[in-house]
Amino acid sequence: MRPLTPKRIAWICAGLAAILFVIVVFSLEVGASPISVTDVVKTLLRGTAAMFTGNWGSIPPSNKLIVFGLRLPRIALAVLVGAALSVSGASFQALLRNPLADPYVLGVSSGAALGAIFSLAWFPHFAWTMQILAFVGALLTIAAVYFLGRRGGQLDSTTLLLAGIVAASFLSAIIMFLMTTLSGRDLRGMAFWLMGDLATPPALRLRFLFIILLIAIGAIYTTASDLNLILTGEREAHHLGVNVARVKLVVYVGASLLTGLAVSVSGAIGYVGLLIPHVVRMFFGSDYRLLIPASALGGAIAVTLADTLARTIVAPTELPVGAMTAAIGAPVFIYLLRRRLT
Amino acid sequence: MNSHEMAASNPSPGTLAGWVESRVRLVVEQASYAYSASGASAPNFTLGPVTFSARQREIVGILGPNASGKSTLLSVIAGEVKALSGRVELDGKPPADLPLRDRAQRIAIVHQESNLLFPLRVWEYVLQGRYPYGRRLRFENEADCLMAENALAQVGAAHLTDRRMDELSGGERQRVVLARALAQQPQLLLLDEPTRYLDIGGKVELMRRLRRLSEENRYTAVVVTHELNLAAEFFDAVVLLQGGKCVAAGKPEDVYRRDLLEEVFKTQLEVEKTATGRPRVILRGQEQQNDATQGDSADQKKESGGADKDLQ
Amino acid sequence: MRRAKASILFGTTALLCAASCSGFAPAKRAQEQPKPPARKVIDEVGRSVNVPAQVKRIVTLAPNLAEIVYALDAQDRLVGVSEYTDHPAAAKEKLSIGMPVNPSLEAIVGAKPDLVLATTSINFARTVDALAHLGIPVYTTDPHTIEGTLRSITDIGDAIGSSQQAGALVANLQARLDVLKTKLKSETPVRVLFVVWEQPLQSIGDNTFIADALHWAGADSAIHTKQNWPTISLEEVIKLNPDYLVYAENQMGEDGNDSSAAADLHAAIARHLDQLRGEPVWRDLPAVREGRVAVVDDEIQVPAPGLIDSIEQLARELHPAVFSQQSGPHISSVPRVWKSTPSEAAACAR
Repeated sequence: MRPLTPKRIAWICAGLAAILFVIVVFSLEVGASPISVTDVVKTLLRGTAAMFTGNWGSIPPSNKLIVFGLRLPRIALAVLVGAALSVSGASFQALLRNPLADPYVLGVSSGAALGAIFSLAWFPHFAWTMQILAFVGALLTIAAVYFLGRRGGQLDSTTLLLAGIVAASFLSAIIMFLMTTLSGRDLRGMAFWLMGDLATPPALRLRFLFIILLIAIGAIYTTASDLNLILTGEREAHHLGVNVARVKLVVYVGASLLTGLAVSVSGAIGYVGLLIPHVVRMFFGSDYRLLIPASALGGAIAVTLADTLARTIVAPTELPVGAMTAAIGAPVFIYLLRRRLT
Repeated sequence: MNSHEMAASNPSPGTLAGWVESRVRLVVEQASYAYSASGASAPNFTLGPVTFSARQREIVGILGPNASGKSTLLSVIAGEVKALSGRVELDGKPPADLPLRDRAQRIAIVHQESNLLFPLRVWEYVLQGRYPYGRRLRFENEADCLMAENALAQVGAAHLTDRRMDELSGGERQRVVLARALAQQPQLLLLDEPTRYLDIGGKVELMRRLRRLSEENRYTAVVVTHELNLAAEFFDAVVLLQGGKCVAAGKPEDVYRRDLLEEVFKTQLEVEKTATGRPRVILRGQEQQNDATQGDSADQKKESGGADKDLQ
Repeated sequence: MRRAKASILFGTTALLCAASCSGFAPAKRAQEQPKPPARKVIDEVGRSVNVPAQVKRIVTLAPNLAEIVYALDAQDRLVGVSEYTDHPAAAKEKLSIGMPVNPSLEAIVGAKPDLVLATTSINFARTVDALAHLGIPVYTTDPHTIEGTLRSITDIGDAIGSSQQAGALVANLQARLDVLKTKLKSETPVRVLFVVWEQPLQSIGDNTFIADALHWAGADSAIHTKQNWPTISLEEVIKLNPDYLVYAENQMGEDGNDSSAAADLHAAIARHLDQLRGEPVWRDLPAVREGRVAVVDDEIQVPAPGLIDSIEQLARELHPAVFSQQSGPHISSVPRVWKSTPSEAAACAR
């Protein structure tokens, strides 16, 4: 009997964070103008120091621009999106009691896509409106699906799943209608958005997005023990003292917000939210007290790696990161399926 | 050992210890409940009024044909729903009024275990029974592990500790689910048809274990079951329901009257007395006219206890 | 216990926060060198651009913009072009900075441009925003009509400091357009169906570039709609009964490079006509029956000087009577100023 301890969680997360750090350094190194690893680390260290001292002069300007101006923001965005999607996927898998649940199953991404189309159609010259309207679309969808997904006053897993699927297909129909009737240029923009794309700098400063990310993950984490119990049965959890209705609400809102956040800034990157939790379970078990932080870090690793590959494999052409996650994710998915069947 | 013999070896009712021992723990008095399909329409189903009580170390059975309200009564006792009239009290407090965690510390419900989505070890499952103690986001400490180990030992499943839940047989799983309930250190144990998927040996073993556990740990147990004869053999009292009405409550030998049982279960039967003084139900039915095979069929019916499908 | 839990949360938080540190790094401070003198210019979408007084390094984000730069004789200052820029052929040698829809910001930065040129017809606002955020000036053109293209050429010329060449080029192009207008004044516009794609059948709307080009060529699209790329059914085509079917050259299976000989093109048209004659509905169209199918250079879709050639070419097809005095497809009454390399000049003499 080896119950999960905070120490074990800390060790595993530290290990994953170390891997993430290595991937980040690697990603900072590659690109159109490769910078050596030592230079990257030096620039990072000097930059961190400069944040406090204000002395940016010691860093060669070209390195600084490329590392801090271009690559680091993009990598930070990848970390954000990867963490958000993975935690959201893990949460929905518990909330809906379905191992195939992913962040988009409740229609949040379709609502965001609709917002994005409105923005492209009516505000084509302002890039930031796309993200704002996408987030608004996501929020509206979250509210609508919540009200549709209730049964007897609280969220019911099956009803919620059905409500989400219905919302997603309804919104997709509207999107297809608009894409056909609007002009051809908007189609191209949407295609990139739908595939997932990290090249656009976010409308809000990254620090605010990270704050939102941490708050949402934190809120979900407070229900980690509850989720473990709910997974053995809702009635059983209720009889053990879990406030099931409240937990479901917190997890629903938190996970949907995470999806909305990720999707607004990067479009719908697929496979990450679905697979990372399963991969983490394979290695570390299904306890949500560990699964949540480990998935966050695992997702950050996956998306950062995928984005780096996407922008370097056929440089200077940049592949959409969603294409990369699909190309890697599909074989992994097949492997996982087979493993379950044996 | 039944409760009569236990009482004989306990302190006499006159002393303080005796008073504590024999104090009634669970009181159900004229409790009734009703539910309807929608809020406004008339009730589909009315339960009650039901009256019975139970002390420590006592097991009460809830019997009756299908749809007689047995599970509903269990829900009322568990505090899942509040009785619409009358009172239900556990140690003086109505379970429905307790906060969830307090309720979970006092009442443990043994369910049919539902399908687990993700692989889980037995010890993880049983440890979850410690959830009501401590904060919401908690990490189990040594005391918790000890309780879980104890619980597994008490149900004779210590050797299953590191196995995966989905690898267990039906009987093993039943024991593990019981262990989780025991880990809650409850005062009241509620079981809803615990023998449904067990074979004959398993059924008897469960009843024996339940008896032993409630005596060792001073539980009060309420068991919904179809097993007339096992109930008669092992329980201290039974409550007989029919269509939501409580038609009898009391000791098995008082409740198991032939005319009453035939009326409730709508089938021909006979009630005998066994050597221990407990009643036993024997089915008649089509075999009635065939005197020659009466002996055989009586043997068959005895072996199958009360689990014959004719009763359902 | 509490300490341990706090340490996990702290650890993970700290690592995620570290990644967000870029939010604190002021990227704007990248430009610490003393700024060269610059002037504020308003581009065609209304953005204010700080154009340096001396534009020595230009990057274009769309093929037509590179074509304009070449036409203004500024190709020596062109240091980066988008993928698939091959008009003129010499542009293929230039450094590529990625696709117009999502160029590699790093490659652009690496080319150290003084000015980047973008256009609303292909590029996205977010790319322009990202470059502006990095302190790189971007001039965006927004051509919707032929006259608009001429205006864009003037604007770009002003921006990169080639106003003189721009003035001359525009004057020349305008003169050719005036000649066309005069010649076609008394002609009724030919009703054409411009086929963008066959499966599904897509044509053009009123607000497109091509519609304007058609007007200049003495034609009128049979379809009138606000949608830019309307999908239409064959039934509608029958009802519309266009006088001419017009295809862009890439539809014929050629990839539109300059060295395709006229004979090849005619052969391709003939093949396509045969194909159409074999298909139901299409073969009943009078235009198909009588072989009234025209092919126009791909340049008709590109807001660049070569556009005028395409328009003249199409006008010649549709109104042969008016142009019959001319011999050879590329002789016009006003000499063209657009210089090309010797090999291109040879290819042009079709």
